[in-house]
Formats: sequence, structure tokens, C-alpha cells
Amino acid sequence: MAQFDGSKLESVEPTRSRPAANAVATILVAVASSLFLLFMLGPIVGLVSAGGARGISSLATDHELRSALLLTAGTATVATLLGIVGATPLAYLLARRSFRGRAVVSALMDLPLVIPHPVAGIALLLVLGRGSPVGGALYSAGLRVASSPTGIVCAMLFVSAPLYVSAAREAFARVDARYESVARTLGDDAWRAFRRVTLPLSSRGLTAAAVVMWARAVSEFGAIVILTYNPKVVSVLSYDRFTSYGLSEALPVAAVLVLFALIPLAALRALRSGEPLRR
Amino acid sequence: MISLQRVSARAGGFTLSDVSFDVPDGGYGVVIGPAGSGKTTLLETIAGVIRPTSGRILLGGRDVTIAPPEARRLGIVYQHAYLFPHLDVRANIAYGAADDESAADMSDRFGVTAMADRAVEALSGGERQLVAMARALARRPGVLLLDEPFSALDPRTRATARRIVRALHQERRFTVLQVTHDFAEAGLLGDVAIMLDRGRVVQQGEPAEVFRKPASPYIADFLGAENVFAGTAHEIRAETSDLVGGADRDVTQHAIAFTTGALTFYALGDAVDGTTHAVIRAEEISISAEPSTSSVQNQFRGHIVEIVSAGALSRVTIDASGTPIVAAITARSVRELRLAPGMEVVAGFKATAVHLC
Repeated sequence: MAQFDGSKLESVEPTRSRPAANAVATILVAVASSLFLLFMLGPIVGLVSAGGARGISSLATDHELRSALLLTAGTATVATLLGIVGATPLAYLLARRSFRGRAVVSALMDLPLVIPHPVAGIALLLVLGRGSPVGGALYSAGLRVASSPTGIVCAMLFVSAPLYVSAAREAFARVDARYESVARTLGDDAWRAFRRVTLPLSSRGLTAAAVVMWARAVSEFGAIVILTYNPKVVSVLSYDRFTSYGLSEALPVAAVLVLFALIPLAALRALRSGEPLRR
Repeated sequence: MISLQRVSARAGGFTLSDVSFDVPDGGYGVVIGPAGSGKTTLLETIAGVIRPTSGRILLGGRDVTIAPPEARRLGIVYQHAYLFPHLDVRANIAYGAADDESAADMSDRFGVTAMADRAVEALSGGERQLVAMARALARRPGVLLLDEPFSALDPRTRATARRIVRALHQERRFTVLQVTHDFAEAGLLGDVAIMLDRGRVVQQGEPAEVFRKPASPYIADFLGAENVFAGTAHEIRAETSDLVGGADRDVTQHAIAFTTGALTFYALGDAVDGTTHAVIRAEEISISAEPSTSSVQNQFRGHIVEIVSAGALSRVTIDASGTPIVAAITARSVRELRLAPGMEVVAGFKATAVHLC
């Protein structure tokens, strides 16, 4: 009888200790996650609660902030459109074709993501500034790059397009190439098969890629400030107000930028919530 | 007509080397081979999805080696239907259709008209495959490439799909090349069988011929021949016309003794050199209680090791002096002869049933 009880205890023990271990693990995970979230969200929430209301109300009176916002939205949109036109074919090639030098091209596309952004700005200034052959030629043709909205677009494009390429490549790679093969045998040439099959099947991923690029462009500061200090985008304006007038004047501008950044974030969430679960 | 002339291609980990074969106009070719033998690569090379590295591809007499897929007038159906998920059933079938009438006709023929407005995600695997076939044929292709299109179907849908494809093929005389790993299917459908292994054609011919006379022990084994024996062959004497009938000197056959283990078979063949294996289909082997006086040259006494029944047919394994011989006989014969494991019987087969390779 005693032996029977002993064996019963043995078989029960591990199952009894497992919930306890699970509970400890759950608590540890919860604490770590909460601390991390607090660190990430604390400054943002603090910023919005301290300057949000003032920022929004100053939109009506602060002419410079309003035009900075419009300039930011406009240049980010132009940069994103240029990125879509220029980088979509490259993303498709990287996803679909194997060619000599593909790995090198992929690595080069990631380079702007790892170099400090002021360095990117310096590199751009070197190529596009008035003193350079390219910048000089553009200037004499009537196109001023540095210290103009064009410079802002160039800086935004340079630092944010790699994000688009990488996300768009992923979106294309998720569409099985055999859909295209079938469309080709059904009479489509390469472009038509892309337009009728690949594009609709990757459209959600491509839109998300464009939103990410736009959001990154809106938040860019380092490269823009080197290439084009004036006219000022919102990030440069917040920095300018901080250095010229201190924290209290920079707060409303910074808070408006945060609220502005919520737009693409919400768009991304909406896009992802419609996405079917991956099998 | 599908004609491949020394075609080589490479795609991913798969390669085709020097592949040549012809499927006549309106013919039904079947490509058989194990997984990884390059069957899908072969179809995609013919479709123009993969560019060959060398060789020529002719479709209907036209050289299409470098033509894009859309210029080849062919349809392809993969094992997984690859229906366009953003389009409904109707739009899928209409995608490349020659005209509306053709799309409607194929929907009817494959029995998918009732589901025309449904999203493809809502279809079962079998329904998807039927829609994929309707979509490929609505274009009225001259060549239809089928990549194991029936393998994922339940037996009933499979039979239906096969019947429809066969009827359409006979009616319209397009040329078909179908990949399968199921030799019964090849025998049922094909005029030409092409056996592929590691990217090379190892044998081609009429399915019945390939089935009866596999070119190598490997093919015999792959095709499901139960009795494949390794051994040595010796020519007994040259016998002309009287054995095979007719006076044609070309049909000279040699009587051959093939020794495997403790057994020696009598066989007929046209060459001895290089012969290392004998193949006998289980269906060609009979079982009797006692040796019979008949034309059956090969008779071996042994003990029944195992009887496996599958429907009306039973496979009886006999141990003849240490060599296992498998005979396929009817369940009724098993009953009438009262066969049981351990029982001593005689396995017999004619010399013509032995295929040497």
C-alpha cells in the first residue's frame, strides 16, 4: 500500500512543480516587459502630455510650425513616391532573379541604414552641393539641391529608401513565382503578369513598405540638417527651437511631430490587421 | 508534337542533362521518375519558365527554345493548383481563356460552373485542381503540361478528372505531357513513357514495353516489379525462327540460363553481355500443388512464407531454396488450392516471362 502511494507521489510531483515554475517565469516576463515598455513609452507620453495641447493650439498661431509640417509631409511624400518608382523594380529583381552581384547590391542597399545619418548628409553634400560637379551642373541648370526642398527630398530618399527596398523585396518574395509562371503560360507577357498577378498579391506588403518609408522620412533629422537647414522640416525646427529658446519652446513642436508620426503608425496597424494569418 | 533535342537546364538544385524525346502530335506522354529526378524542371523548361542551357525544344514543329512562355501555346497545371487568390473561380478560368464560350465550356466540362462566384480559398483541394485544369484548357492550348495534377485528389475526384482530361484529349487532340510517380496511371493514360532519373532519360517507349522490359533493375524496382534477381547469364544455344515464329533473321533469340543463388531460370534474350539481372512480374508467376507437365519451363519447389491479400488479388511469397519468389494470384485460387504459410508448393513461369536487363 505504502509503495503504491510512493509511486503515485512520484508521478504527481513534477506536474505540481511545473505550474510554480511557470508562474515565476510569467512574473519575470511581465516585469521585464513592463519595465521595457515604460522606458520606451515614458518619454513619449511625457512629451505629449507636456506639450501636446500647446502644440495643437499653436498650430493655429505658429506660422513657422505650420509650414514646417506641410514641408515635412510634402517632401516625405515626394521622397516616398520617388522611392516607389525607383526602388520597386530593384526590390523585384532582388526577390526574383539570381544574378551576379546580387549579394553585393543587397549589402550596398543596407549601407545607409548603418552609417550615422549626419555622415550620410555629408556624403550627399559632397555629391550634390554647389561645389561638386553634379551639384554645380544641376545648379546651372536651375535646380538647387542643397538648402532647398529638393535637398530635403534627397536626404529623405537616401536614408529611408533602403527600408522600402527591404520590405518590398520581402513582399515580392512572399508571392510564389509559380503564379507568374502560370500567368505567363496563360498568355501574359512579363509586365502584364506582374501587373495582373504579382502586384495585386503583394500590394498589401508594398503599401506597408511605402508607409514605413514615409514614416522614416518624416522622422529624419541628421542627413537633412547637413544638406538643408533652411527651409526647416519639423525635426529641424524642434532642434532649432531647443538650441535657440530652450526646452519649453521646443516642447510643442516636438509633441506635434510625435502626433504626426502616429498617422503612419495607425495606417500600418490597419494594414496588418487585415492581413491573413501566415500558415 | 513535343520534341526535345539534347536539352540541358538547371534550376535551383535540379538539373536536366541531355534530355531527348518525342511525343507525337496529339499523343499522351508520361514522365515517370522518383522525387528529385527533375520532372518539374523538365515541364518548366518546356513551358519556357526555365531557359535551357543547351539543346533545342520544338512544339508543333516550331523551334521555341528561346520563345517566352506566352508565345508557346501551352498550358501547365501544377500539383498545387496555383489559382490566383485575388480572383474568384470565374475570373480564374477566364484569365487566359481563348473566349468567353471556351471558359464557360471548360467550367461545365470540369463541373465547376456552380462555384463560379466563390473565392478560391473556399474551395477544397480537389475543386481547386479541377478549376486549374479548366483554366489551362480554356485557352485551347496545343500542348498541355501536367505536373502530378491528380496525385492530391481523392480517388473519386481523381477518376473524374482523369476521365475528363482523357475525353478532351481524344476530342481535341492536343499533345499532353504528364508527370507522375504512379506507373499504373502512366499505363492507363500514356502512349509514350519517359523514365527520368537524376535529370537524365534512362528509358523511353510504350508504357507497356517499359513496364514489361525495364532497362535496368533500378527502373524495375521503381515500377514495382516484385521479382528482381541479381545473377549471371549464360547462353545455351542460338535458336532461330522456330521459337519465335516467322523466318525473319533479325528476330534471333537466344536461350539463356540465368543463375541466381541456387536457382537457374530459362529465359530468352538477344544478348547476354552485361546482363546482371532478371525481372519477372508477379502476375506472370503461377502456383500449383505439384509440378505440371506443360510448356512452363521454369518450375521451382518451395515453401509459402507469406500471403498478403489486397482485394481480389493475393501476393504469395515462396521461399525456393533460399530465393524469395512473389506470385500474384487471385484470392479464389488461394482458397481453392488451400494455400497457407508453410505449405510446400511449386512456383512456375514461362521462359518468355523472364526479362533480362
